[in-house]
Amino acid sequence: MIEQRAVTTKPETQQPLLSVRDLKVAFPSEAGRVDAVRGVSFDLHRGKTLGIVGESGSGKSVTSMAVMGLLPDYASVTGSVTLGGDNLLDLDDRQMSKVRGRRIGMIFQDPLSSLTPIFSIGAQIVEALQIHQDISTAAAWKRAVELLDLVGIPNPDRRAKGFPHEFSGGMRQRAVIAMAIANDPDLIIADEPTTALDVTVQAQILDVLKTAQRETGAAVVMITHDLGVVAGSADDVMVMYAGRAVERAGVDELFARPRMPYTIGLMGAIPRLDDRARGALIPVPGTPPLLVDLPDACPFAARCPVVQDACLQGEPPLVALAGSDTGDEHAAACLRAAEIDGGAIGGTPIYPVPAVRESGVAAVPREDRPKVLELSGVTKTFPLTRGGLLKRKVGTVFAVNGIDLDIHEGETLGLVGESGCGKTTTLLEIMGLQPPEQGSIAVCGQDTANLRRRQDISAVRRNIQMVFQDPMGALDPRMTVFDILAEPLRAIGERDRRTLDTKVGDLMELVGLDPEHRDRFPSAFSGGQRQRIGIARALATKPQLLVLDEPVSALDVSVQAGVINLLNDLKAELGLSYLFVAHDLSVVRHISDRVAVMYLGRIVEIGATDSVFDDPRHPYTRALLSAIPLPDPVAERTRDRVLLKGDLPSPTDDRPGCRFVSRCPLHLTLSDPQKEQCRGVTPPLTARGGSDHRDACHFADTTTSTSVDN
Amino acid sequence: MLRYIARKAVGWFLMIVVATNLTYFLANAFLKPASNYTALRPPRTPAEINHSLALYNLNPDKPIIDRWWHWISGIVTHFDWGQSPTGGSVNDQVAYRIFVSGQLVLASTILAIVIGVGLGVYTASRQYKAADRVWQGLSVLSFNTPSAVASLAVVLVAIALNQSLGSTLLPVAGAQSPDVAGFWAVLGSRATHAILPTISLTFISYAGYHLLQRSLLLDNINSDYVRTARSKGLTRKQAIYRHGLRTSIIPVATQVAFAMPALFTGAVITETVFAWHGMGEYFTKTISTNDVHGVVAVAAFGALMTAIGAILADLVIVALDPRIRVS
Repeated sequence: MIEQRAVTTKPETQQPLLSVRDLKVAFPSEAGRVDAVRGVSFDLHRGKTLGIVGESGSGKSVTSMAVMGLLPDYASVTGSVTLGGDNLLDLDDRQMSKVRGRRIGMIFQDPLSSLTPIFSIGAQIVEALQIHQDISTAAAWKRAVELLDLVGIPNPDRRAKGFPHEFSGGMRQRAVIAMAIANDPDLIIADEPTTALDVTVQAQILDVLKTAQRETGAAVVMITHDLGVVAGSADDVMVMYAGRAVERAGVDELFARPRMPYTIGLMGAIPRLDDRARGALIPVPGTPPLLVDLPDACPFAARCPVVQDACLQGEPPLVALAGSDTGDEHAAACLRAAEIDGGAIGGTPIYPVPAVRESGVAAVPREDRPKVLELSGVTKTFPLTRGGLLKRKVGTVFAVNGIDLDIHEGETLGLVGESGCGKTTTLLEIMGLQPPEQGSIAVCGQDTANLRRRQDISAVRRNIQMVFQDPMGALDPRMTVFDILAEPLRAIGERDRRTLDTKVGDLMELVGLDPEHRDRFPSAFSGGQRQRIGIARALATKPQLLVLDEPVSALDVSVQAGVINLLNDLKAELGLSYLFVAHDLSVVRHISDRVAVMYLGRIVEIGATDSVFDDPRHPYTRALLSAIPLPDPVAERTRDRVLLKGDLPSPTDDRPGCRFVSRCPLHLTLSDPQKEQCRGVTPPLTARGGSDHRDACHFADTTTSTSVDN
Repeated sequence: MLRYIARKAVGWFLMIVVATNLTYFLANAFLKPASNYTALRPPRTPAEINHSLALYNLNPDKPIIDRWWHWISGIVTHFDWGQSPTGGSVNDQVAYRIFVSGQLVLASTILAIVIGVGLGVYTASRQYKAADRVWQGLSVLSFNTPSAVASLAVVLVAIALNQSLGSTLLPVAGAQSPDVAGFWAVLGSRATHAILPTISLTFISYAGYHLLQRSLLLDNINSDYVRTARSKGLTRKQAIYRHGLRTSIIPVATQVAFAMPALFTGAVITETVFAWHGMGEYFTKTISTNDVHGVVAVAAFGALMTAIGAILADLVIVALDPRIRVS
């Protein structure tokens, strides 16, 4: 009887911890009043986690800043934010400072800049403690060390005296979490807490956040653009678009039965790590609206494939939907929400699946196709020096240490690994077209050691072009699109204005841009369009190989899908080869034919994509794959995780032995003579069972149960 | 720390030696001390002029290396920086003038820093509000005011004030009254004489610090770590003072340290308007009178001030930024 009552007590009957009602935030701007948040309401109960998902500019961060009272004075904020009975919007800065840090803790996106560089980590935590508690400095230091220990910083009493620049990104984010939970807050707001971090570190930080939540019993607002992170950590999810919540539901309900076309679009646009079919991704067309003078209509109407006239007759409110069988509330701001079922209306999918272009090259077996890039034993070192005027060499960083890889025509090789593993150095070595320190690089059959004359180098350069990560930084803001695209053509000797004109027009059409826009400047284009310009520029010289350095990581999910599809189409149409560097393994799985995993300057596993992803052999690859959150709450909950401890060590020595030993979960389970072998003998890349799939681990085949203990 | 300063000091000392000797040769090549004698009546023959100049080690007929050796050994053995072409001791002039200049620039430098940095912090935390715009407008105005205009304006106002009061409350010329005696009386006289030039120097120099500090602090006010500090529970003001200011004041401190040499020898116009005989005036006078030894002494003094400024800047940075450890 008593038990049953406990079960039937719904959370709604309790007083919510945080209650936001009709929150509106507007900023003045030169273009007019920007309505960044336009009426957001939600309740959050103690111990629960609310995930707020949305693309950049959807108002999710502004919402959290409004709750914290950290918006600039010129922002106009209306509505109500009630935390335990007080309306936070009525409090001034002084009163609000009693709430911040004590009742609400906050974790920010970029751990590199969110700590004051000139104070030690310990001092900053002590400050957080002493603002709200009347404790002695000695006691506060003791507590700070305990907090650092809790968030998993090794040697906390020594590390507390360290300054932020002595900490890695992941360690700094742990320190920020320690600061946020220092005063046992009721609410923790995490604004993209893992976006700036590597996947393996992301998994650690999400784990620490869960620990922190367990220790404090706090409610968490988790703001992110990554549906995988939400699936693994949230109880309820709110999807934001153009400053409003467009869909809200429990996490299982939302992922199982999304009812708003935007949510469906977001889910269709992300490549899945567990997706083997590799159909085209489904991009959401268009871009989010500017939040200035929005008409009274559904803000998603312009991008929605199932838009009706009624959608333009007034903005649909967020209304609860009937018929959700889990009992949780499910609300969507869509007139057609009731018709939508399983991403389709009346059996027809809302988003038409684009056709995949088949590559003619793929018909020829890989071995028979010519190699466009071949690296053998490439090594790049940097000297470590000390002293000002007279520098002494005190060590060597082996950024790239004996790499072998090859790319055949019409093939995509994905190069993955944590930051600092040598991916970018490898790319720079290739793009430099210089003979490497050791080993050799051959581009389209030409060994770079034989490239002496300027003409030879530029002839090879034509065949290998690069696309950069940041589409903003990679385009000169003072050149028109025409100039940007004509520059490589002029560089290879094209002078005729009319020929340039047609070629630039063709290039723009090839990447899906309107040739009419050739006289515009890069600032007139959205992020996705700018990346298309970058791709068009790389294609101008008709290269055989494109080197892509994180080409989609700066783009929003819905835009990213379009660029990935474009890359796949171009490959099929032009028979291109790609060297694709990315930290997002889902994207790599989607786009690559083969994948190489790097760790501390070495390749630890290489092979056909499906083979590596389905049957990872090296313990590092396993850990990397298991760290990626899946956008599927059920799979997230049931999955075993290999959590790597610590950060990437610095590659300063070249002693024999496996470099992964310090973090290897498999190593711990081995017998002593086997451990000795790991430490003493460098494992070579070996093929097992005669396939093309090779790994650099002595004991990869000895056991497969590495995922249990962490 | 002491070892670090000693090492720096040795390095700077060598730099001063090189700069000073270089100036000596340049000054001898370009300045013609003989011109001090050509206008004399009755006219002197070149031989007579050279004979007079030879008394002060300035005879152009003597090989430059010999003159240099005489000059440098005078400095090394008795710290004697030589004589002007008409026989005045450079040591006496410089010793007196450093004191006068110090009196003139020290107070105004401190005031300019305090006012400038203070206004920078005040206006940065009120960006684009009325107070910010008013103070910024005033600072831009003062930044662009030539020091002659500022000095003369101050003099005019002081004269009007003195006339309306009927007594010389604020003396407008000289470093002290010629007829006072006794320690306290001299001190009081010097202090009242320093008021007006200090006001005019402060007025033209505070704006640089204000605008620099404002823009540096603004970069930091909107930084992530000030936001983190506020999210911990500091008020906006506390977060700006504790986390924003300390990081943003470091470049200002460096600039102050390096501005020291320019201050000592650069207050030429103010010194002229208020009839103070400081280093600035000496700097222009020695060049116009072809005073080789005086010019070299001014250059050596400038180099010394730069060295002191640079070492001070290092010390200030070490004091403000605990990340920096000197060794």
